[in-house]
Amino acid sequence: MKQTIYRSQDGLEGGAPAAGVPAELAAAAQAATDPKGAAPVGPTKIAARDVSVFYGDKQALFDVSLDIPDKTVTALIGPSGCGKSTFLRTMNRMNDTIAGAKVTGRIEMDGEDINARSLDPVLLRARVGMVFQKPNPFPKSIFENVAYGPRIHGLTRSKDELAGVVEESLRRAGLWEEVADRLHSAGTGLSGGQQQRLVIARAIAVNPEVILMDEPCSALDPIATAKIEELIDELRERYCIVIVTHSMAQAARVSQRTAFFHMGRLVETGDTEEIFTNPRERRTLDYITGRFG
Amino acid sequence: MTLTVLLIVILLAAAAFVLGRRRAARRAEALTGRARAHSRPVQHGAYAMIWVAAPALFVLIALSILSGPISHQLIQTGQPEAVERLEGFRKNAFVADAARVADGEPAQAIWEPEVAQHLAPEGARAARIQTTLMWAGVVGALLAGLVGGLVAFMRIRPDFRARNRVEGWIVGLLLVCSAIAILTTIGIIASLLIDATRFFSAVPLPEFLFGTQWSPQTAIRADQVGSTGAFGALPLFAGTFLIMLIAMAVAAPVGLFAAIYLSEYAGAASRAIIKPVLEILAGVPTVVYGFFAALTVGPAFREGFNTLGRWLVGGPLDGLGQYLMLVQNQMALVAGAVMGIMLIPFVSSLSDDILNAVPQSLRDGSYAMGATKSETVSRVLMPAALPGVAGALLLAMSRAIGETMIVTMAAGLAARLTLNPLDTVTTVTVQIVTLLTGDQEFNSTKTLAAFGLGLTLFVVTLALNVIAQRIVQTYRQQYD
Amino acid sequence: MTETRDALAATRLERLRGGLKRRYAREMRFRMYGILAIAVAVAFLALLLGRIVEQGHTAFYAHEVSVPVYLDPAKIDPSYPQGTNFEQMVAEQQLATQGLSGDAAGPMAAEMRGLFSSELKFQVAEQVAADPSLIGQTVTFDVPVSDDADLFFKGKISRDTPSEQRRLTDRQIGWLDQMEDAGRVHSHFNARLFTSGDSTEAELAGVLGAVVGSALMLMVTALLAIPVGVAAAVYLEEFAPRNRLSALIEVNINNLAAVPSIVYGLLGLALFINWMHLPRSSPLVGGLVLALMALPTIIIATRSSLKAVPPSIREAALAMGASRTQTVFQHVLPLALPGVMTGAIISLAHALGETAPLLLIGMVSFIPGVASSITEPSGALPSLIYIWENASERAFHERTAAAIMVLLAFMIVMNAAAILLRRHFERRW
Repeated sequence: MKQTIYRSQDGLEGGAPAAGVPAELAAAAQAATDPKGAAPVGPTKIAARDVSVFYGDKQALFDVSLDIPDKTVTALIGPSGCGKSTFLRTMNRMNDTIAGAKVTGRIEMDGEDINARSLDPVLLRARVGMVFQKPNPFPKSIFENVAYGPRIHGLTRSKDELAGVVEESLRRAGLWEEVADRLHSAGTGLSGGQQQRLVIARAIAVNPEVILMDEPCSALDPIATAKIEELIDELRERYCIVIVTHSMAQAARVSQRTAFFHMGRLVETGDTEEIFTNPRERRTLDYITGRFG
Repeated sequence: MTLTVLLIVILLAAAAFVLGRRRAARRAEALTGRARAHSRPVQHGAYAMIWVAAPALFVLIALSILSGPISHQLIQTGQPEAVERLEGFRKNAFVADAARVADGEPAQAIWEPEVAQHLAPEGARAARIQTTLMWAGVVGALLAGLVGGLVAFMRIRPDFRARNRVEGWIVGLLLVCSAIAILTTIGIIASLLIDATRFFSAVPLPEFLFGTQWSPQTAIRADQVGSTGAFGALPLFAGTFLIMLIAMAVAAPVGLFAAIYLSEYAGAASRAIIKPVLEILAGVPTVVYGFFAALTVGPAFREGFNTLGRWLVGGPLDGLGQYLMLVQNQMALVAGAVMGIMLIPFVSSLSDDILNAVPQSLRDGSYAMGATKSETVSRVLMPAALPGVAGALLLAMSRAIGETMIVTMAAGLAARLTLNPLDTVTTVTVQIVTLLTGDQEFNSTKTLAAFGLGLTLFVVTLALNVIAQRIVQTYRQQYD
Repeated sequence: MTETRDALAATRLERLRGGLKRRYAREMRFRMYGILAIAVAVAFLALLLGRIVEQGHTAFYAHEVSVPVYLDPAKIDPSYPQGTNFEQMVAEQQLATQGLSGDAAGPMAAEMRGLFSSELKFQVAEQVAADPSLIGQTVTFDVPVSDDADLFFKGKISRDTPSEQRRLTDRQIGWLDQMEDAGRVHSHFNARLFTSGDSTEAELAGVLGAVVGSALMLMVTALLAIPVGVAAAVYLEEFAPRNRLSALIEVNINNLAAVPSIVYGLLGLALFINWMHLPRSSPLVGGLVLALMALPTIIIATRSSLKAVPPSIREAALAMGASRTQTVFQHVLPLALPGVMTGAIISLAHALGETAPLLLIGMVSFIPGVASSITEPSGALPSLIYIWENASERAFHERTAAAIMVLLAFMIVMNAAAILLRRHFERRW
């Protein structure tokens, strides 16, 4: 297994913020990357090489190569239609469900090609969870929502074990206290923020290694957003998290690594602090300073 | 004659249009200063035209609807005693013959002399009544048109808001057209209720609903009505229910799985082939299904069961074998199975719509958890779509209960209280057809019984439809 | 702690992998059910159409036999040739050629007569009436064979069937073989099927009366249901205030569309025939009933094509100062018209195949002629299919299938027209 510590490889130390970068962004980025002497960026979990995606005749992603480290939050940012969500969906092969979508290039998870014919998308998705933009709890009870994954995958052998998994997942998603007394009421009856945390609990109930989040807070109010961000920060200890976000502030707050996409291409990647304080590319600077996008 | 009057009305209306337009134009020209006419001359013309055509057409339409009943009533009331004494259907035949004799044609039936002498005068009287009615209508229509035109003409002034009035008339006409939907419902309910009430005064409702004996075929003479015929409809309900059950047993799984395959598995190319096939299946008239059931499926099933029976006879299942050898073409299973096939496209297109209404985000959520398609369908989509699917199945049931041709052609006439799919059963719709297609007097209990059955059928299907539509509507709103 | 957690994760992965095979098997099965369901529908359609063509194609040709007829002056009254029993005369002459005459021939004459259609006597009588000088000569007539003989020539009555179970005697089959060997039998296109009305004799029955009846009926339906339906839809979609009356009308229309067709038949019987005293079995009454039935579907189709016209069109017209009525009739309705016509044609095609209500308003009676107006008694295609299917003569079965083919052909033409219309005018907003 490759053990690349990107920070040292880049050899770039955070210096003074580049001209035009808002001070609060830079400060947030610094805080996220350097949290109280906590874990540094982990070993590479997913390595993408020359990944291109086509929807029919239209190419949506051009030769993206990106390493995503474990136990880290990696943010994918960029303007609408830049390919960041498309790239996210290649990592659990969700593009398979879209008719006419084609993925070329190589994506390795722990050194294993995830697009290989021999690799089962069901197994892959059990290892790579996903949270969507709009909370999408199933029209079932809270308990059944969380139990969905363990049930279909046959992960538990007894009712008690299943109940234990559900409770643990809800606790880790920070929802247990709020719903413990109404586990059997409908999941769709929760508030938006609770629904999104329920969906996160559903995703972690199968004990995935990677969690993909596609703009998880864009449909939520600021308070719910803060809770989710807090949760993401906690989850970082155990999982490799990739988050697509429109909000630069959010990327700066929650991520340690940031990749900037534009027009279907990966423009720049690096430590979040670097990207927000001292981007190498002109386009990155333009975007984070709000000159387009 | 009606056409001629219609033509005259049209001409009058056209004339009113031209005159009205000219008058409006003249009066508008006479205006001085900054005053302007509110509406254009054309609109005044249209206003005058409407006021001529609408009253005249109203009288004409009312006449063509009512002249039948009125003349019938008038002819019936003034008849000589000898004719009055005739039984109902003989009386109708007499009226028809009287008209023939008055036209100089020979009578079709043979009449006793004391009745026959009235043929010519009665025919002449009937002709007089009809002519009078017609002329009254014509004069009434023209008069109404002229008066209306006059009223409109007086109103033509530059400040008269002709356009708004014309548009008011147009919207009114549209409203009347959509009210026809309500009138149809009222008509259905009234016609069913009136005759059904007469039926239920001869046969008590509980006896009809819970009686187990159905043999209306005894009502041959008018004075026998109701006394010997048995009108217990329970066997018909049982037969209807049995055939509906068989049909649903075929249509529900096949239709649902077809819908699931279409909406979740099939690619664009196979959808483009399968959908038209299902549409063709839905477009085939039911009489064709009936023909197929009676002449192909029925004999094939009988042959199959008889062969099976021959094979079983003498073995441990000898009794069953004996029974199977006697199975007839007209079994409930044949009508039910063919009806089920007929309902497949109905169920599948409704369920397809309903599955498509389930938001994509739920599918994504399930696939992202690593669920297979079948797990997604059976654990997420079906529970989510359940109310809608239930509604669709209720609508299909209502269809199955009301379906007539397949059962008329492929199920039997024997009213039997059984749930054995290999037996011959009869249904409500079959009996309605049987009761009303024979040659008998209209007002016999036998024919009125058809309306009792019709009312029952209407109430049951209406209830199913209302419930189903409520469910489906609530379901759709949930995801809108 | 971490170790137990990792161990737990490992067992879970193990379980996940272990269940995979079973899950994929279930997935395959599920998919198979779907394919099977589609296959059932497709196979049934193929079977249905195949059977109808198989049963019906033979009705499109028929057999005729050349019969030399000696117009015996002893038996024909020149002043009233219709009075002669030509069938018996021909039968006896035919038997005479076999060397059978007198008492021996008596009982066989009926069998011989049974080989020819009753058309024989009309043809001969007509010829003689037109030209009495033919009496005394021998004239050869080409007449249709009887329905059973026709079935025999088509191979639908087999000589291998025991004679008591077949509709032709051994002797009759012998004679038919002789005629065929003598080259007197020829098959030809069965034009009669399309040029004559219904008949009790299968070999003379045709669909023309029913086709004309259906056409007249559809005309009445179209003239009533399309204008009223479109007007109602325009009102509901464009003008109706959102009040209880509109809601009531809306619910009403949805329910009317689902009322069983036979209930409309009862309505037609009670309202149009028993109360308004309109003529029974007439295309007028049939058309009225079908119009009431087609109304809800036309309204629903029209409303959906009005809905498809984007509101921007309405706003543009209203902003130019057009009134609401002008907007609807000058802009919205013309744009929606292709969709409206498509919906109307499809519901008319549906009405064409509707049978149950026709049975109740007297269209099951045997009506031999071809109607010339909407108030004359007439048959209709679907009810003719029902009548013929019920007929006991086997020769009617192939004609039933043929009549179904005619009905389906009309429906296909109408639906194809609707599809072409939609393709041609389809607009994407």
